[in-house]
Amino acid sequence: MGSGYCSIRRNALRARALVVRATAAAGSGHPGGSFSMAEAMGCLFKHMRYDPTDPLWEERDRLILSKGHAAPGLFSYLAISGFIKESEMETLRSLGSRLQGHPDLKCPGVEFCGGSLGTGLSYSVGVALALRLDKNPGRVFAVVGDGESNEGQIWEATMSASKFGLDNLVVVLDRNYVQQDSYTEGVMPLDAAVPGPDPVAARGDRSAWRTADKWRAFGWHTIEVDGHRIEQLDGALHRALAHRGGPVIIVSRSVKGRGVEHMEDNPQWHGKAPSHQTVPIILRELESQAAVAPSIIAGDMARLDREVSRCQEAGADFVHLDVMDGAFVPNTTFDHAKIRELRPITDIPFDTHLMISEPVRSVRRYAEVGSDIITVHAEACDASEFGEILDYLHSNEVGAGIAVNPATPVPEWLDAFVPKLDQFIVMSVVPGRSGQAYIEESHQKTQEVAAYLRDRGFGGVIEADGGVNASNVAGCFADGARTFVGGSSMVGQADMGRAIREMRSLILGARRLGLLREAHRLGGPELVEKWAALHTVGGKADSIREMAAEASLL
Amino acid sequence: MTPDMRAEYGRALVELGRANPDIVVLGADTTDSLKTAGFGRKFPDRLFNVGIAEGNMVSVAAGLAYSGKIPFASTYAIFLPGRAVDQIRNNVAYPSRGAGRGLNVKLVASHGGLSVGPDGGSHQQLEDIAIMRAIPNFRVLVPADSVSVYHLTRTMAETYGPFYMRMARSKTDIIYDESEDLAPGRAVLAREGSDCTIAACGITLSMALNAADALHQEGISCRVLDMFSVKPLDGDSIEKAARQTGAILTCEEHNVHGGMGSAVAESVCESYPVPVRRLGVGDTFGESARDSEIPDLLEAHGISSVNIARRVRELRRDMQ
Repeated sequence: MGSGYCSIRRNALRARALVVRATAAAGSGHPGGSFSMAEAMGCLFKHMRYDPTDPLWEERDRLILSKGHAAPGLFSYLAISGFIKESEMETLRSLGSRLQGHPDLKCPGVEFCGGSLGTGLSYSVGVALALRLDKNPGRVFAVVGDGESNEGQIWEATMSASKFGLDNLVVVLDRNYVQQDSYTEGVMPLDAAVPGPDPVAARGDRSAWRTADKWRAFGWHTIEVDGHRIEQLDGALHRALAHRGGPVIIVSRSVKGRGVEHMEDNPQWHGKAPSHQTVPIILRELESQAAVAPSIIAGDMARLDREVSRCQEAGADFVHLDVMDGAFVPNTTFDHAKIRELRPITDIPFDTHLMISEPVRSVRRYAEVGSDIITVHAEACDASEFGEILDYLHSNEVGAGIAVNPATPVPEWLDAFVPKLDQFIVMSVVPGRSGQAYIEESHQKTQEVAAYLRDRGFGGVIEADGGVNASNVAGCFADGARTFVGGSSMVGQADMGRAIREMRSLILGARRLGLLREAHRLGGPELVEKWAALHTVGGKADSIREMAAEASLL
Repeated sequence: MTPDMRAEYGRALVELGRANPDIVVLGADTTDSLKTAGFGRKFPDRLFNVGIAEGNMVSVAAGLAYSGKIPFASTYAIFLPGRAVDQIRNNVAYPSRGAGRGLNVKLVASHGGLSVGPDGGSHQQLEDIAIMRAIPNFRVLVPADSVSVYHLTRTMAETYGPFYMRMARSKTDIIYDESEDLAPGRAVLAREGSDCTIAACGITLSMALNAADALHQEGISCRVLDMFSVKPLDGDSIEKAARQTGAILTCEEHNVHGGMGSAVAESVCESYPVPVRRLGVGDTFGESARDSEIPDLLEAHGISSVNIARRVRELRRDMQ
């Protein structure tokens, strides 16, 4: 019923961390193109039918990584899915390893020996033809790179798939705008030229998009998505699999190196491994991905549909839905019926915060109407009720969260659930109404919660909720919060898009500072300088150095 | 049995296709020429014409083979090893899982060698044997007549693994009768002899036999080996020939560098060194010749029964 948003997000983070460790251990490899497809791979593995205990199961779906250099990105998901052990990732590229520099049939779960670019789609056509001849329900998913689309054979295969009407074939084009030498649009453009100095400007300029046009002209059904928006990728895969009569391509516009700022949009990181010294900082950075969740009750309660549309236009990561029942809190907002109404407006995940009594009795209804994460209050349930809620939500692919009010300590019974928990909301106002001021003690509490969760194997995200605004968001980030609910600071602003951009920029600053501190802790000013110097794209190194100097880290 | 290699190839495919639904055939706008169109008429859902896109054809064949099909992918030699060597190496030869070395793809090329004739040097593939025998897991067959083609097509279908078979464009003399048993890795002793050995493959086998006849008149007893299996090479037959006849002349319509002659020479050097002379195209390209002039084109490059006999005489003279 749910999209599996939280587990895909968690897997994408885990996959990136595995790629960092493996390529660092190997001393070479391709992190950039592994990161750009991390969300797409996560969604593919959610949709695919496979059995890690029987990798050659006849009716499995076949995943063919045509852009074979992104092998670590594939291996990481084979580890996460149980085809190989996570520890095997450390053998990447070493003599005798099943994890070759490029995917090899030696490794269970690998269906294609990639490496020579431009051939994987033709191979996928062959596999799809064979499955169709055999009336095998297995489907073929091919992941193709934009750089390898320079190869004429990609277009030979494109024509063939169309001629043969292969509707058991779905391509995900990882459109990350970078190839080995430089940016794709300089080496061999797939989109229209966008004047100006930004080499990846076309990614954000829909009027310049020409990639899907080419595939459409070759007879393919095309879908465009933001390659790091799980909800878009997930929706696209649903549609692609329902399509009949011919092949489908999902153009996944992504950022090469996504997740590690100095690798993002940086051709240097196409095929280079991070140094051992920077690995711990990079792992910290991966865990520092932040999201904003505007809370629509801060807007016009009579036109919540409009508020959701505003969230969509403003580029929110989540829509935060505060459900109040007039019993757990004095106010009443809306219930699942309203969420059902709002659901079709956007594919942005719904972050449903149930401020209601006895959530165990009604959580099902909130899941059924399309919530992606549901958070219940610790004050409103006991261990057995929460256990039931969590199991129910997870078996329906909905994320599960727990919230605590300012005066509530973390309940003792939560310990056992921590590793499975997707979200922990630290309330920094007394819930019940919008527009209250942030309770300063919440900083301390969030830090304590973060330490408590870290010690117990937490894989989810801490959400700061209540009075979060431009003046305190950096502090909340430093405390350990990674999702930021914004009421008056986002939905309450006339230009929500601008407010969100400003919040993101403050969060980025806090993230950079945190990483500089980590670098200093690990290697003093020398490592701080090294770390700053890695940020070669867009003149970032200088501003990061400045920040380090201001914080007396250089 | 017709003397047309392609016709026998097409006939064998139809028979195989009838018996085994996993047999599939690919073409690159050459299904009519390669005589595979007949397979398509019988089994329309199992013939895939990918258009003039040979690399694509090989990779699609690899995908089919990976999924349990037995694909025969055919076009002219110049566009198969000559064009799609990356796909052949990386998509077909390289992928190995468990005991299966390489994928089960059969590449069958027509128009090998100089005897392509009128289309000219651009279309005369003189390097394919060298290319293909350098690629691990591939077996390389150069049959001498249409009977061999028919048999080897069946053998390839029944034997797991990647194969390359090179056919000539022109009709060829029929050498074998239909009961001949041809097995990859085993040379055929086409003529017994004790004074010298001629190792031939493809259209040069009948030239070698004619030369042996002529030399017999002069009292020279020539052994003739059909080295249709260039890889795996029958090292035992070569060693035996070296020991028993003391000299070997190879002949092929291929560059002297890297072809069957090179393979034989390498084998002799390591088993029982005796003088070896290689007859073939001398590291150059061919040119157009009308159909009636093809023997002249071959002759110009020294590929004829007359020249084979001459080289045998020279070889024996050199040894004295």
